Amino acid sequence: MKPSSLTVLQCQVVEEEVPMSLAELCRACGTERELVVQLVEHGVVEPQGASPQAWVFAGASLQRTRVALRLLHDLELNLPGAALAVDLLDEIARLQRLLQAAR
Amino acid sequence: MKFKDYYQILGVPREASADDIKHAYRRLARKYHPDLNKEPEAEARFKELGEAYEVLKDPEKRAAYDDVGKRWQPGAEQPPPGWDSGYEFRGGDDAFAGAGGFGEHSDFFEALFGHRGAHARHRAPPRAQDHHAKVMIDLVEAYRGAQRGIRLQVPTLDAQGHVVLSERTLDVAIPAGVREGQHLRLAGQGAPGFDGAPAGDLYLEIHFRPHPLYRVDGRDVYLELPVAPWEAALGADVAVPLPDGSVQMSIPAGSGQGRKLRLKGKGIPGKTPGDLYVLLQIAVPPPANDAQRQAWRELAKAQPFNPRADMGVK
Repeated sequence: MKPSSLTVLQCQVVEEEVPMSLAELCRACGTERELVVQLVEHGVVEPQGASPQAWVFAGASLQRTRVALRLLHDLELNLPGAALAVDLLDEIARLQRLLQAAR
Repeated sequence: MKFKDYYQILGVPREASADDIKHAYRRLARKYHPDLNKEPEAEARFKELGEAYEVLKDPEKRAAYDDVGKRWQPGAEQPPPGWDSGYEFRGGDDAFAGAGGFGEHSDFFEALFGHRGAHARHRAPPRAQDHHAKVMIDLVEAYRGAQRGIRLQVPTLDAQGHVVLSERTLDVAIPAGVREGQHLRLAGQGAPGFDGAPAGDLYLEIHFRPHPLYRVDGRDVYLELPVAPWEAALGADVAVPLPDGSVQMSIPAGSGQGRKLRLKGKGIPGKTPGDLYVLLQIAVPPPANDAQRQAWRELAKAQPFNPRADMGVK
């Protein structure tokens, strides 16, 4: 073992063990609170909790939020369009998995 | 350095209107967006489109670019003298900068517009940002875990408030059981905080290098395993290579082409480990001499078989 192994950084797998607050998700995605609230209103991500202050996002929300933000920005989509695209992308991924499993 | 023809990249003529450019960009961006198009060359193509659009949609940048284009000798590798001076650009207030989008620029763009053309900020961001990077790992590293030196190019602000790229290396312990598309969070390894604010976090998005033997779906792994016709017909114990070792597996007698056998728990490890699916591929050895040809003929005699019976032909 190298002596430098003492400085090896440990990390967490977000999708498995990191529930996020609204503020954390905003920071992780480099975006504003209002935009994430709108993504929640359009059902792109579905946090647990009654109010934005109490929202808890599952780790998998990070990926969906980032994809939605990229589509909004890169393709100049509006929110319903981005929400639809994210749902369809997940559906395509699900169907591709089924197709592979059925081979 | 080669001249980049932004008009050609967007497929529009030089006299195209701002609307034409916008329409061309939208159409092509939808086609090549890396979230929508999983072809390996899509991301590079999309970056090129974004760069072309960034220049041509902005009247100031477009004028500067057109001016350089007029003075560039056809086929020349070198820009005309004094080509990169005299243009000054203010950065846009882009809420997505640093959000891990696909916003890198070519050398050509950097030479013409500088980092400032893309990312200029004249003050430090109000709070430390989180950074994102992609990491490619091998499948075996998802089984065993790995320690990786990860080199990052980090945009930092110099004394004048300009963005400069500096490089740093992090030793990261990648935990066993990580899956394609997951994110690792490294607390406090993002952008430094200003005025006592805590540093941002660093997120690493995990991608697997393609493997010649295995295909991965979530936590499950698929392997096509060649078997001899007599192994499939009579059953056999065969060695199956795993990403981190090997295992003996019984092939049941009477197995057909494409039969799927499951090795439970031999996929990517974790609290709920994945499974490894073995897809049997019947490999037929071409007979090489008279004795072998005779053996196949005797098999044909002993076991009459029409694999096309379902197709209505004899």
